[in-house]
Amino acid sequence: MSSIFSKDISRRSVLAGAGAFGAASLAFPNMAVSADGSVLTIRSYSDLQLLDPAFWLSLPEADIMRSIFAPLVSNQSGDEWAWRPVAVDSIEQLDDLTIAFKLRDKIGFTDGYGQMTADDVKFSIERIADPANESPYAGDWSALKEVEVKDTLSGLIHLKNKFVPLWTTTLPTPASCIVSRKAVGELGGKIGTEPVAQSGPYLLTEWVPKQKTVLTRNPDWAYEQGGYEEIHILPIEDPATAELGFEAGDLDYTWTSVSSLPRLKENPPAGSVVVEKPSLAYVWLGMNKDNETLKDVRIRRAIQHAIDREIVVDAAYFGAASVGNGIIAPGLPGSRDSVTYDYDPDKARALLEEAGATNLTVTLDILNQSERLTAAQVIQANLADVGINCEIKQNDSGTFWTLGSKDGDYFMDLQLVLSRFSMNPDPSWATVWFTPEQVGVWNWERFNDADYKALHEEGLVESDPAKRDEIYRKMQDLMDESGCYVFLTHEVVGLIHKDTVDPGLKPNGEPLLPLFKPA
Amino acid sequence: MLTYFVKRLGLAAVIVSVAMFLLFCMIYLIPGDPASVALGPRATEEMRAALREKMGLNQPVILQFWNFYVGAWTGDLGEEVLSGRPVMTVVLEQLPFTLALIAGGITWSVALGIPLGCWAAVSRGSTADRIVGILSVAVIAVPSFVIAIYALLIFAVQLRWLPAIGAGEPGNLGDQLTHLILPSLAVGLGWVGYIARMVRASMLEVLEASHIRTARAFGLPDRMITYRYALSIAILPTVTLLGVGIGQMLSSAVFAEIVFARPGVGKLVYDAILTRNFPVVTGTVLVTTVLFVLLNLVADLIIGALDPRVRSSF
Repeated sequence: MSSIFSKDISRRSVLAGAGAFGAASLAFPNMAVSADGSVLTIRSYSDLQLLDPAFWLSLPEADIMRSIFAPLVSNQSGDEWAWRPVAVDSIEQLDDLTIAFKLRDKIGFTDGYGQMTADDVKFSIERIADPANESPYAGDWSALKEVEVKDTLSGLIHLKNKFVPLWTTTLPTPASCIVSRKAVGELGGKIGTEPVAQSGPYLLTEWVPKQKTVLTRNPDWAYEQGGYEEIHILPIEDPATAELGFEAGDLDYTWTSVSSLPRLKENPPAGSVVVEKPSLAYVWLGMNKDNETLKDVRIRRAIQHAIDREIVVDAAYFGAASVGNGIIAPGLPGSRDSVTYDYDPDKARALLEEAGATNLTVTLDILNQSERLTAAQVIQANLADVGINCEIKQNDSGTFWTLGSKDGDYFMDLQLVLSRFSMNPDPSWATVWFTPEQVGVWNWERFNDADYKALHEEGLVESDPAKRDEIYRKMQDLMDESGCYVFLTHEVVGLIHKDTVDPGLKPNGEPLLPLFKPA
Repeated sequence: MLTYFVKRLGLAAVIVSVAMFLLFCMIYLIPGDPASVALGPRATEEMRAALREKMGLNQPVILQFWNFYVGAWTGDLGEEVLSGRPVMTVVLEQLPFTLALIAGGITWSVALGIPLGCWAAVSRGSTADRIVGILSVAVIAVPSFVIAIYALLIFAVQLRWLPAIGAGEPGNLGDQLTHLILPSLAVGLGWVGYIARMVRASMLEVLEASHIRTARAFGLPDRMITYRYALSIAILPTVTLLGVGIGQMLSSAVFAEIVFARPGVGKLVYDAILTRNFPVVTGTVLVTTVLFVLLNLVADLIIGALDPRVRSSF
């Protein structure tokens, strides 16, 4: 038998293949997508899984849903948190408990589901609020009593009680996206990854899992047109990959990592604009007050005084972020200019001595990200300086996000934890996670304060901005006093886009896809 | 030959079963609650409990394994936790991208490794031989993700000859090939070194064989002796090496898929592990394990076809 190699087929075909491979690289040079008004290519950090306003999972899905299911209102692009009408011709608060709306008369659903009506609004909102549907977003409409249909296009949203965050964190979110009652009914009550009865300025026309999602201008949309004929959304989890993709010309817009921001600002790629936006996120070092080692408040206060927050933040974010003083971001009611503790290692040592804590060893749990690790290492050094030995424990995201859960077996062993939450532009979105009900859920410090809880409830119904400001400042003061928190930063949001693109962005840099347009 | 084939298939089934059981045990030993990760912070405890129930997480591990095992034999790998899409569909959507990546990697490694190995062997002791030796060890030593990042920086960012991210337009073969060049280079370059070393060593051995000496005595051209008579025998260990190497390339594919933001089973299983999407993890690993075992089987059969001595032992 002659071997296949004896005919030289392999060698020659291999060489020919290699040649073809090389030729292909020359024949098909990098095809950067145009940003000239036809196609916009952007990055999202995850692929879509559910396109249902009642059950969505990630921000990229929210961006898409607001584009394909017309919401009553959406955020305005700019530096101020404001809203703009999308599906409504008019919407106004008649009194504390009533909102009147009238839909635009030329909005139709695709796939033959007819005109969008007030009954669809009633269905869309009430299905989120209905506890029987188990929507994770039921809280957005927790104050809802009912939606009353007045006629085909008009209706009233009735509330059970006054709910101040309605206009900032409920209506301009997917919680006001309108879906077709008939279409969702036919789907069995839940929308998956193939939306039907779309109604927004864009239509989802293609989804290739893990590759891209294509939004195309809705030809039947009679109002403000999207700036691009098509928007291609590429799921890229790793920000460094996205940055390289941008520099290679494959993307028109992407978020960047905070640590890349100084480098990109200093040397922006040709033809690009680097943007820095204030973030709503908050990063803090939490201390579990029910842990045996940390139950003495003097030890927790000592740790507060031991940590040089400025150096921690500078080291972790390469100087791109500034120190934060609470959980409420600057610009929102309740944002503070300072905390009630200062960096004072001597005071920390004195408190430890007073508490009789010698040779103290604590564990600091973090998510396995470089910024967190750097911050943790500085904290470790700070604690060593006052005589506390700190061991850093890195966790993958799947493990990390269950560390303090009462369903697990680690929540009482948890000692120090470096956490980051994000929020919507209302202070109640930050404070809600630290109420007594959240102990063992997301309140891993097990901070349990009845006054805090009462203030949180008060803040939800207080519409006077000055009084709200006072309420939320007081709540953060209580958090300081507990000794459970060292507030570190609100981070910043880094973005980069081609100079041929005028991005539509919320004040915190989150994209508003229909508002992107050619520069 | 048929008996050998059936025996190998039976062994493959046992290997896959054991691998799946080990995987199941590992999955359920790691900390983290899939329901919490999947549903996010705003889900209530009732919702998390309902999802755990739906995923079958309340059942004993052995029962979960058995259900999965029985389902797998009928092609039912379960459903993705949240979207409800069949895992088989999800995996099969991604598998071609990984197969293309591995095929590309093998192409690079064979296209460069075999000629380099032959060249080094016929130039034994020369400067060229030493240079090939140094280069081979160097590319073996450099991790594939480092190659990936530098290839990306040079050819995509700096020179802009090749795209940096994605897998190309569906249906556009040229675009897909262009998107394959850098990731497959990253996956295959390390294997260029392995193959060059292996081919060189085998060639040196074969070139000393009596039939080669006979061929030389008959005055056959060196080129014909090297490539027709020596390489056809020296290539056999390389085929075996490539069979094993496919498993290694599957690992490298994870890095390449992340760095180049390509779809593929590597990234799919990586994301699924992070989100504790157990059905996707088990389904993907099952498919890749079966693939690996089958490819090794194919490698063995190719060796049997190439080498009469092996074939006669069937």
